Amino acid sequence: MKNVIKILSVLLLSLTINHSFAQSDDLVNVCALGIGNATYLKDFKVKLPANSPAQKFSVILNKGTMYKFVVCNAEGYEGKAVIQISEGSNALVSNLKPDGTFAEAVGFSCSKTGMYNIMCSFKNAKEGAAVIIMSYVTK
Amino acid sequence: MNKRISTVLAILIAGGSLLMVNCNGDGSKSKKDDFAIPDSIFKDKPLMISKEAMNDIIDNISSPVEMAALIKSTGVPFNQKFLASTKNVDNLSTDFKQALNLGVYGCDLGYLNMYEKTGSIISNMQAIKKLADQLRIGHFFDFNTIKRLATNNENIDSLMYISVSSFNNMDEYLRENNRSDISSLLVTGMWIEGMYLACQVVKEVPHKDLVERIGDSKIVLSDLLLILKNYQSNSSFANLVKEIEKIKKEYENVTIHVIPGEPEMVEIDGMLTFKSNDQQIIDISDETLAKIIAAIENTRTMIINL
Repeated sequence: MKNVIKILSVLLLSLTINHSFAQSDDLVNVCALGIGNATYLKDFKVKLPANSPAQKFSVILNKGTMYKFVVCNAEGYEGKAVIQISEGSNALVSNLKPDGTFAEAVGFSCSKTGMYNIMCSFKNAKEGAAVIIMSYVTK
Repeated sequence: MNKRISTVLAILIAGGSLLMVNCNGDGSKSKKDDFAIPDSIFKDKPLMISKEAMNDIIDNISSPVEMAALIKSTGVPFNQKFLASTKNVDNLSTDFKQALNLGVYGCDLGYLNMYEKTGSIISNMQAIKKLADQLRIGHFFDFNTIKRLATNNENIDSLMYISVSSFNNMDEYLRENNRSDISSLLVTGMWIEGMYLACQVVKEVPHKDLVERIGDSKIVLSDLLLILKNYQSNSSFANLVKEIEKIKKEYENVTIHVIPGEPEMVEIDGMLTFKSNDQQIIDISDETLAKIIAAIENTRTMIINL
């Protein structure tokens, strides 16, 4: 009987995960509408429980390209996503302004091809879900 | 009682499996279930790098759309001759060949979209759809929507978004389902084709930005080799690694150094923007460039003639 409960739990969990993925894909589609005159390149989905460390993504960014990062928070979560673009340990730009408000989008004018990190956490370590759309701005 | 529960569970699982098959958009069993690269080949051998590191590296390989955008920004007109022919798509009989060429066609789709050559997209898309279906990832490729947008010459931004996100979703699915070997081939095909397109343009017009992009691709090349070497116990992968190593060898004479600059925060079109102002110097002689171009062309010829 215990095994049956385990199997049913796994089935239910997988259904929930699939549903979450579908929701995050919807959020990506909606968020991609907000990139304006930029061209979509990639998206990053983040879902973190409360008090989680930041999630890290690595990307190669190219010299001479202007990148735009747009963040969209999922409904039903208190957490607001804070992203930080960094190179190694050097933080370069964040969507969280010094006054505590959020920029809708942040830009990065890349002058050196290399690996950069996108760190994503939620303000005040609250539970949250968000997508980050990385795009480039046409010259 | 236990027997009844087991029966109910069996029905549930069978139903779930059927649902999953249907969700794949192709209820029929793939003709190529007798797969050229059995999963067991890799399952028994430990990967040289962790799955997480693999994901990071694959994520790192730049989108071919960026290369297409750079090519277009040079002002060099579109050239149909640069694109891979789709005539041989039916002869691609193994997952290895299909995945590499799917990457090639995916990159070509980016190039076509960038130049808004929507009329030429159909045959490229049919090849993509066929290969994606054979690799059991066709359900991520919304052929009908892309075809509609292309044939009606509708919103190019939407066409670009759906095309790129379809490939991103295919790649993500492959990696989540322990098919990173296929994902690595998809990414390799895209990268080689992007480089090939850049090389063809540079042969006609040696635009500085494009030459530099070819030069600084040295950074990505090592990563690409790292992921492919994970699977070189398979002879097809081993041959591909040998080819890519030939390209890497030609890159030995490319030097990259950086003069640090003073970063600044500026507002561009109302957007808070970081400008690093570093100066990256990429030294690549004409001779080295010619050798890199030749090596890229050889590898690309090998891939499209598999």
